[in-house]
Amino acid sequence: MIARVADHCFWLGRHIERAESTARVLQVTATLALDAELPPRRCWHPVVIVSGQEADYVTRFGLEALGNAETVQRYLTLDDENPVSIRRSIEAARENARSIREVVSLEVWQVINELHMFLGSTEAEAMYARDLDAFYARVQHATQLALGLLRSTMLHDTPLDFVWLGMLLERVSQTARLLDVEHHALVPGGTSPVLETALWFSLLRACSGFEGFMKRSRGKVTGAAVASFLILEPRFPRSILYCATSSRQRLAAICGDELPGRSALSRLHALETWLGAVTPDELQGARVHETLTHVVDEVHAVCDSIGGELLGQVEPEAEQFQSQ
Amino acid sequence: MTQAIVTPVRPTPSLFEAYAPLPAAWDELFVSPGIVRAGLREPLAALLTVHPNDLERAQALAERALLTQGVTFSVYTDQRGSEKIFPFCLVPRVVTAADWRRVEIGLEQRMRALHHFLNDIYGEQRILSSHRVPAEVVLGAKHYLPKLRGVQPPRGVRIHAAGIDLIRDPDGIFRVLEDNLRTPSGVSYVIENRLVSKRVFPTIFAAARVRPVDQYPAHLADTLRSCAPAGVDDPVAVVLTPGPFNSAYFEHTFLARTMGIELVHGSDLCVDDDKVFLRTTRGLRRVHVIYRRIDDAFLDPEVFRPESMLGVRGLMRAWAAGNVTIANAPGNGVADDKAVCALVPDMIRFYLGEEPKLADVPTYVCARDADRRYVLDHIGELVVKAVDEAGGYGMLMGPQSTAAERDEFRRRIEAEPRRYVAQHRVELSTCPTWEPERRTLVPRRVDLRPFILTSPEGSWVLPGGLTRVALREGSYVVNSSQGGGSKDTWVLQDPT
Repeated sequence: MIARVADHCFWLGRHIERAESTARVLQVTATLALDAELPPRRCWHPVVIVSGQEADYVTRFGLEALGNAETVQRYLTLDDENPVSIRRSIEAARENARSIREVVSLEVWQVINELHMFLGSTEAEAMYARDLDAFYARVQHATQLALGLLRSTMLHDTPLDFVWLGMLLERVSQTARLLDVEHHALVPGGTSPVLETALWFSLLRACSGFEGFMKRSRGKVTGAAVASFLILEPRFPRSILYCATSSRQRLAAICGDELPGRSALSRLHALETWLGAVTPDELQGARVHETLTHVVDEVHAVCDSIGGELLGQVEPEAEQFQSQ
Repeated sequence: MTQAIVTPVRPTPSLFEAYAPLPAAWDELFVSPGIVRAGLREPLAALLTVHPNDLERAQALAERALLTQGVTFSVYTDQRGSEKIFPFCLVPRVVTAADWRRVEIGLEQRMRALHHFLNDIYGEQRILSSHRVPAEVVLGAKHYLPKLRGVQPPRGVRIHAAGIDLIRDPDGIFRVLEDNLRTPSGVSYVIENRLVSKRVFPTIFAAARVRPVDQYPAHLADTLRSCAPAGVDDPVAVVLTPGPFNSAYFEHTFLARTMGIELVHGSDLCVDDDKVFLRTTRGLRRVHVIYRRIDDAFLDPEVFRPESMLGVRGLMRAWAAGNVTIANAPGNGVADDKAVCALVPDMIRFYLGEEPKLADVPTYVCARDADRRYVLDHIGELVVKAVDEAGGYGMLMGPQSTAAERDEFRRRIEAEPRRYVAQHRVELSTCPTWEPERRTLVPRRVDLRPFILTSPEGSWVLPGGLTRVALREGSYVVNSSQGGGSKDTWVLQDPT
């Protein structure tokens, strides 16, 4: 497989996952804000932190705006200047897909292209203004459809492995950041038990993990149980351990017995082993933050290593000329 | 989602009953108002009763489908990354089986002569020493590449995929307007337009019994494999693209996808020991056939433009060594030159000893003294074209020109006679075309670009082709860059 093509596959997976995750987090937060009786900043500031764009946001809108639900949501949905807004993420996913149109199946391409056109349309602006929940639902449905179609319409071969690898590594960072920011905010005993439970539920929903968690914990909600579920549950597709294991498997399939990618693979393997040694009892207080920091740092290093070993350089922009 | 259009039978006057063909041009579907051409009434019975509302709705569905599927071309003059759909009119251009057979036979003969010519020009140059064609016209062509003389392409094929532009005169005779033997584009629109027609017009389409076009990519893949360097059992072929900013990028991805082969950029390839390799995540992999959609000048910075970043250093050495097939072969541009194109009837007589079976448009080659004098005296009646321009650029439409424009072209011709040819304006045929503002059908000028694949066993003509239509009233320019659109071309099955 061509390194340039692998690079586009990898980023296609990351951008779709990022858009999907952003839409879900915003939808869940907007729902939480309706009845949690929390100061707006308590609801929306964490969302900005999770996006990784806090500095840019504060520079543009000021500290006060961290509590402005509308400013945060617009920034993360239709803002053209924010590189991780939903519109920009889908635009990036679509650019990556367009660069490898011969690799991406027609079905996947069409869903991404339609979502891209929707997000640039007045219809999207109108839906955003009139029915925000429907807007978030539409983005989630289209991105989830794209992820499903990738699996059901493409060869289960190296290109798809790269898409999936990108998707999983993006997902592991999202889960880690979401849990970390909420965990920081939730000092045990600092808020009322009712409110604390609402916040844990909200976090679980932001990770699509509410139902899975309830099945595993049989209705018993504690901060430690939620953290343990999101980090260590091997059957939950957004848990950190699950994503680490799956991404290690995808990378192993890509590398085979060849040398390129081996150092990223061994690093990912080490992370998986390290996570496997963490027990649920340990996931209390500061240890959660330490664990998540380690995960985020390691995933970052793995991505750098994959980029250097497998994805090659991004080539200079092609010049234009007439064709017949 | 696209839905099928069911056309109910209604007593209202049909769209086609009000259609008035132009008096001085051949119309592809109508002899005169209400009178359908021989052989078309029965196949088109369902189409001819379509209601304007249904056509309008189907037209909207078709455009939407092309847009969501990304069947677009990039626009150079627009800001970077701008994409548009090629305007598409659902009313098809229809060719009877008998007419198509004549076109096919003529194209096959033309391809044979052109192959002889290119082999000769990059070989012994017998046709020049025979003085059957003026040597200065051939050797002075901008795209003649003397460096390539003596190189034999693998399996002897030079024009693997050709697109020959035809027009139809007021007597209904198909004439060659120009040859595209380098990197002709448009075949993806033929196939995509067909898919859309079938989706939105299923009953109308089925009733007409139209020959399929979707076998083209498989034929192209076979052609490419059959032209691989000798001794390669399972050749690896790739499509070479200049990248997403090229106007025909959609087509490059389309062909790679439908042939199931890799789409590569120049930087994905490298040459070692005169062999071409693909850089993959698992090291280098040998490539045997390159279907390139990059112009000659950009192919190899070692031989042509040194600043080109689109090509592959050393590619021409690998080709000359017979280790890689480049399709189409470098150097074909000499025959695309409009002055050389005018010499094809002489080539047919010289190489084949036959008379041309396909007419062409009589051309004044300004490099010839008598022709030039005629052109300068009659410039207001002629269409003057620069020999090395394409896309409808660099031309003067005499009858519609201003005095200043005519003077300008006279000056240019006198300064560089070799660069210009002229033709009498042919009244291009028309085809009923949907006019969205007036919600009616109007006659608009069309041309036809059939696609021909050539392997060592001979040529194959895709039964269909790109019908381009000048959407503006009174316009003769069908190019997509200048307000042209396209139509599906229905070549009918033999009635027997």
